[in-house]
Amino acid sequence: MDYWNRFTETMPREALNKVELEYFRTMFSYAKSHAPLYADKLKGIEAADLKTFDDIKKIPFTYKEELRKWQEDVEPFPYGGLLGVPIEEVSTFRQTSGTTGRPVYVPESYESWQWRIESWCHILWMAGFRPRHRLFLPFGYNVYVAFWEAHYAAEKVGLEVIPGGALDTKGRVNKIIELKANAMAGTPTYVLNIAQEAQAMGIDPKSFGIERILGAGEPLPEATRKRIEATYNCKMFDHIGSTETCGFAGMCEAQNGLHVVEPFFLVELLDTETLSKEVAVGEQGVIVITALGRRSFPVVRFNTNDVAIKGPDTCECGRTSLKLMEIVGRVDDIRKIRGVLFSPKTVEQLIRSEFPDIVEYEIVVTREGIMDEILVRVEVSPKLKAEDASALAGRLKERHKIKTNLSCKVKIEPEGTLPRYDLKSKRFKDMRGDH
Amino acid sequence: MDEIRNEIRNIEKSAERLKVLAKENNAITKNASIILTFVYLLKFITPATGQ
Repeated sequence: MDYWNRFTETMPREALNKVELEYFRTMFSYAKSHAPLYADKLKGIEAADLKTFDDIKKIPFTYKEELRKWQEDVEPFPYGGLLGVPIEEVSTFRQTSGTTGRPVYVPESYESWQWRIESWCHILWMAGFRPRHRLFLPFGYNVYVAFWEAHYAAEKVGLEVIPGGALDTKGRVNKIIELKANAMAGTPTYVLNIAQEAQAMGIDPKSFGIERILGAGEPLPEATRKRIEATYNCKMFDHIGSTETCGFAGMCEAQNGLHVVEPFFLVELLDTETLSKEVAVGEQGVIVITALGRRSFPVVRFNTNDVAIKGPDTCECGRTSLKLMEIVGRVDDIRKIRGVLFSPKTVEQLIRSEFPDIVEYEIVVTREGIMDEILVRVEVSPKLKAEDASALAGRLKERHKIKTNLSCKVKIEPEGTLPRYDLKSKRFKDMRGDH
Repeated sequence: MDEIRNEIRNIEKSAERLKVLAKENNAITKNASIILTFVYLLKFITPATGQ
């Protein structure tokens, strides 16, 4: 078996725990003495008090809202109390997407950026990306971190990288063909859009010769992953990360869950009720992360609000790291509709696995009187006849009811009506105002 | 792994020495600092486990 770092990736659990506890204490002290947020937050707790993982659980979480607060009118601009190095050491500006509010500005020193890239090399390598690959990145990276990480890490691993910004989708299809790219990374939504555009141009995406794709920026339900694999005749891999924490887990060749990149990160999976106990294998837990070596932007016990299922202790690839079997979704995305918990991911899973003729969709929740209504707007393949589209709408209504316990309306929209997304898609719109 | 860790310490000493020897030379000191960044990474990925 091939590893990026055999030493750490196959380290026995007990040894990993020991290393991570030591790294945690070091990062805890560093954050407390260098970043005003943590000087304030960690008052009264000393690194020497942290002798076990249970001791760590007494440390308060860091929330995204706090990161925002510590950047508002706090010097040095624009990083405020989150900055962990002298501002002269900051070499790169990044920011969060701002999907859930004001963006967080993220300072990377040269050292921290390289630390981040090293972590990402694990993600690429375990997904089978190798120096023989010519990787097409179909985005203008802008100030968002994910594709910068992919670019730098791919260079470090030894791939040949083609930056695919400043082109429209058709231009990107042509560039993939022209340069014979054989690997790609992208949001699942946009990877599907590229395939759709190619098909509209009369080109079968299978003819590209893309061997591997890494998903980024959005959840990747298994049904979507399989659909992309079938569309491109390739292998598709997932990973998870965020601007605040870095990419922290990736999928190996077994394609069965995501390995946390240890000992770069201490990942806690905590019970959703009390957020105080580690969950058991097979249970859902909230992901709480500490980046253990990144000093320009220390993040200690960051509550991601993402929920994942804890995987088994072993994997056929031989890695010993903590495994996340499935990212269930964001706590923020799960809504109560007519008293029933509803996750938009369930609908994506349904559409991608059972409705290949749906090319784009959007879920809109409104309140009419006292009643919550779900409307699923869909665009279908132009090849579908009107009566078949109508039958599809009926079948989707039925399957939606079975999968979510909630009825919905389905509206077939004309081709090109629904928005297409390059980066994070926003297919779920809750218009109720008080949810 | 001990031998590897020793070698990393040697690189660290050399890079620090370079910075002292060439303290008036921006190019050499900057490149030596970059070597030290990678020394930080090398240390991070080769932790002593005591086992």
